[in-house]
Amino acid sequence: MSRLSIYQKEAWYDLISVWRTPGFVLPALAFPVVFYVFFGVLFSPSGSSSHAAYMLVTYSCFGIMGPAMFNFAMNIASDRAQGWLTLKRLSPMPVSAYLLAKMATSLVFAMLIILMLFSVAAIFGDVRLERSQWLGLALLLLAGTVPFALIGLLLGLTLSDKAAPGVVNLIYLPMAFLSGLWLPVTMLPSFLQQLAWVWPSYHLSQLGLKLLAMDQGQPWWLHLTILLLFTGILVMINLWIFRRYAGAKS
Amino acid sequence: MSTMQTQVKVTGLVKRFAGKTVLDGVDLTLAAGEVLCILGPNGAGKTTLISAILGLIGADSGDIQLLGQLQKGTTRSMALRQQCGVMMQIGSLSANLTVAEQCDLFSCYYQSGYRATELVSIAGLEAHAKARFGRLSGGQKQRLLFALALAGKPKLVFLDEPTLGMDVEARRNLWQQIRQLKQQGVAVVLTTHYLEEAEQLADRVMVLHQGRFIASGSPAELKALTRYKLVQCCTALSDEALLALPAVLALSREQGTVTLQSSHAEKTVLALLTQDSNVSQLEVKQVALEQAFLQLTAPAAKHSNGTKEHAA
Repeated sequence: MSRLSIYQKEAWYDLISVWRTPGFVLPALAFPVVFYVFFGVLFSPSGSSSHAAYMLVTYSCFGIMGPAMFNFAMNIASDRAQGWLTLKRLSPMPVSAYLLAKMATSLVFAMLIILMLFSVAAIFGDVRLERSQWLGLALLLLAGTVPFALIGLLLGLTLSDKAAPGVVNLIYLPMAFLSGLWLPVTMLPSFLQQLAWVWPSYHLSQLGLKLLAMDQGQPWWLHLTILLLFTGILVMINLWIFRRYAGAKS
Repeated sequence: MSTMQTQVKVTGLVKRFAGKTVLDGVDLTLAAGEVLCILGPNGAGKTTLISAILGLIGADSGDIQLLGQLQKGTTRSMALRQQCGVMMQIGSLSANLTVAEQCDLFSCYYQSGYRATELVSIAGLEAHAKARFGRLSGGQKQRLLFALALAGKPKLVFLDEPTLGMDVEARRNLWQQIRQLKQQGVAVVLTTHYLEEAEQLADRVMVLHQGRFIASGSPAELKALTRYKLVQCCTALSDEALLALPAVLALSREQGTVTLQSSHAEKTVLALLTQDSNVSQLEVKQVALEQAFLQLTAPAAKHSNGTKEHAA
């Protein structure tokens, strides 16, 4: 069998395996849409389409973060606990196939969430964007899953399968709120606004808002640099942990 | 046999966890077409030994040669992994994928292995091909994991407690499959808790205890290592009188039945009958491999003290 087919099959089976977990699929897809319909479209303070556009960016960020973090953290933790990962490591499967498969699954979910939120925004929120803005936002969000997948990987490699879901929620939900994904960041108290700089999700949402000229006005390269730095550091920590994990206990 | 290729050669393997020595200079060789059974109580280091050979954990010192190549650290080449099959003790597959899907996925990892449908039939799960792993019984799961271990038509197979949770029939079928592997020239390393399994399958049994091999040989030789038999009976004689009988090494009492360890059962029985003609329910038993193994791994102190305590 060719190497390509290993990557394809690994990705395909990861996706169906996740798809057959209703407890993962339903919240991952429904929460961002329901939240956006409520807070972005129905309870829009002025009923304006600009509010709906602003919230489209932040709830899309919220939406793509979830599957990336959960798919990596929960499934890797349980694959480790059940010995599935050990079995795969002993087989001639390249580790990259395993990780890329999880990434592909996260991207499929991100894509579905983006399509659903964009549709709701255009049809019910009267959001009108340039074609380049729609496309740019979608690509940004897809690329933006990477740092969150890495957070998930870190948690999946370090936590037990029982602890992983709780800890992910403990990070995911506060981070989403504190970086202004549920309420516009400008509505948060000023010290929380400053704290927002800590979260990668803040910088991703600001980059998205910049495409719509609705951001807080910092230069785009600053957000991008911080995101890339954050991603780079996570890659290093993950590599370190993965080597230690491979070298120590089964 | 002597012309057979050596597939595994381990020399002086040492592994410490947090200051505790788990493997204490282990030596092991395994030829093609040979089934080696590693026995040992829980915590003896069986799984650690297999993990170190497979490169799941790094050893502190010692050499590991697999299929003629010296292995370094925890890296195992893709070429080697193509030729090894492994069934680990805790091996669970993704609960959401069906038997056929797992077989399809695993068969694509190997360049010249079995096809997915062949793996399903090796597992004997044709009727459950569309069942998800999570819905299989314990024994069916083990059969699938066994089939996946053979996915690459390996030259070397590691089976850690392969028949755990299987019913008698499934176990016998798996034994048959292991015998077939042996005939095909596959080298098999097997750990088990079922001593019958070792007696049935192994060319060689090695007993691991506290990180060392304390005995090695064919199942029959290992049995012979324990040269005593058990004499069981109901008798009115006192402990002192029983221990004074010829060839008696030790005794134990359980609900009126006395069990004597004797290095020469005939002499013991003759003396017993002369001293107490009312002996009832007399039985002389061969020591099963299980007891031979328990005796070998029992702490040395208990051995020598056992007799004295009773004698005192």
